[in-house]
Amino acid sequence: MNDADHSADDADRLLLQRMSTGDRAALATLYRSYHGRLCRFLSRLTRRPEVIEEVINDCFWIAWQKAGNFRGDSRVSTWIMGIAYRCGLKALRQHGEEPIEDSNIPEDRIPATDPDEDRELRDWLGKGLERLSTDQRVVVQLVYGEGHTLDDVATIMQCPVGTVKARLFHARVKLRNVLPALAERSITQKEQA
Amino acid sequence: MTMLASYFSQDCPRAWELMPWVLQHNATKKQSEWLANHLAQCEACRAEFAQQQLLQRAMSLPADTDVDAEAGLQRLLGRLDTPVMDEKPSPKRVGGWLTRALAAAVLVQAIGIGALGLKIWSGGETPATYRTLSQDSTPAAPGAIRVVPDANMTLAEWNALLHSLQLQVVGGPNEVGAYLVAPANATSKTQDTLQQLRSTRGVRLAEPVSGTP
Repeated sequence: MNDADHSADDADRLLLQRMSTGDRAALATLYRSYHGRLCRFLSRLTRRPEVIEEVINDCFWIAWQKAGNFRGDSRVSTWIMGIAYRCGLKALRQHGEEPIEDSNIPEDRIPATDPDEDRELRDWLGKGLERLSTDQRVVVQLVYGEGHTLDDVATIMQCPVGTVKARLFHARVKLRNVLPALAERSITQKEQA
Repeated sequence: MTMLASYFSQDCPRAWELMPWVLQHNATKKQSEWLANHLAQCEACRAEFAQQQLLQRAMSLPADTDVDAEAGLQRLLGRLDTPVMDEKPSPKRVGGWLTRALAAAVLVQAIGIGALGLKIWSGGETPATYRTLSQDSTPAAPGAIRVVPDANMTLAEWNALLHSLQLQVVGGPNEVGAYLVAPANATSKTQDTLQQLRSTRGVRLAEPVSGTP
């Protein structure tokens, strides 16, 4: 954990302390600060916005109630991600896994600031992630997207570190075999166009 | 099954292991330097590292799902004000009819057992004593003698006889008027007592109970 992570965690702990006394402003601050990364993380589980919002709100509902019980064994972000992961799995069981295909996303829902390059990258990644299991997608997102360590991911997913290592390894091998080919195909298509 | 491409050197697996943590800035300075040196010499790992950087960049892009943070927050705050109630109905019982049927069967059995117990209790009858054929009958007292007094013998004479021979009645009379008597103390000899009983007027029969010493 680097210095920036330390100071962010200290600020989060302070917010949790305030939340434990019923401070709603602290809850709102924490909610806004985590909303983006939770959306990104949960979009690896489901593509349905209403389910993502439900999971985020369930997660913060629990965080609000349990803020006083936070023992500080892990980073606040690890704790919150763990709650979100479990809420996400519960929501998937309740709603069923009905991911919306990328092609079904209306144009107006893709961020307007998304440059073409990012859109290509997103498309490239999406096709690669399709080859992974849900657990592998979650591990890759937590490590590459959210910057969590193996120990953090093991805490979030409540499984041994060895299991996380194995999931990450197999996910990387699959992506290594798939992603270069997708990149080459994309370049070829570009050249033909 | 997907397999890793063959490594170019023995250091490649270590480089592969380190890549995510160097990208996260969670590797030590020594590890980062080691990887930088390795990448400078290994083209395959350089390509892999470039791919990993691209992967990290792609994974860090904002989600492309449209979820309004402020609207969600307002809904959450509204939820905090809602009194806690049973939000969700209790899950539907699987096999409820079976459970109810089993409960009814147990209830009927319990009522039946209760009624039977009440009948036995209120009947006041001494329960019959059951004995298996292989079971010994109640053992007679040591030195017991079966005595049939004459019908003319008075109670006073009978009591005086028992007192003089230090005997006591331990059973009877049965349907033929036989009493079972036994010595009041262990010192009395059964044979002598038997002789005295047989010689007494008014005693029709005196026989030792077989099997007693």
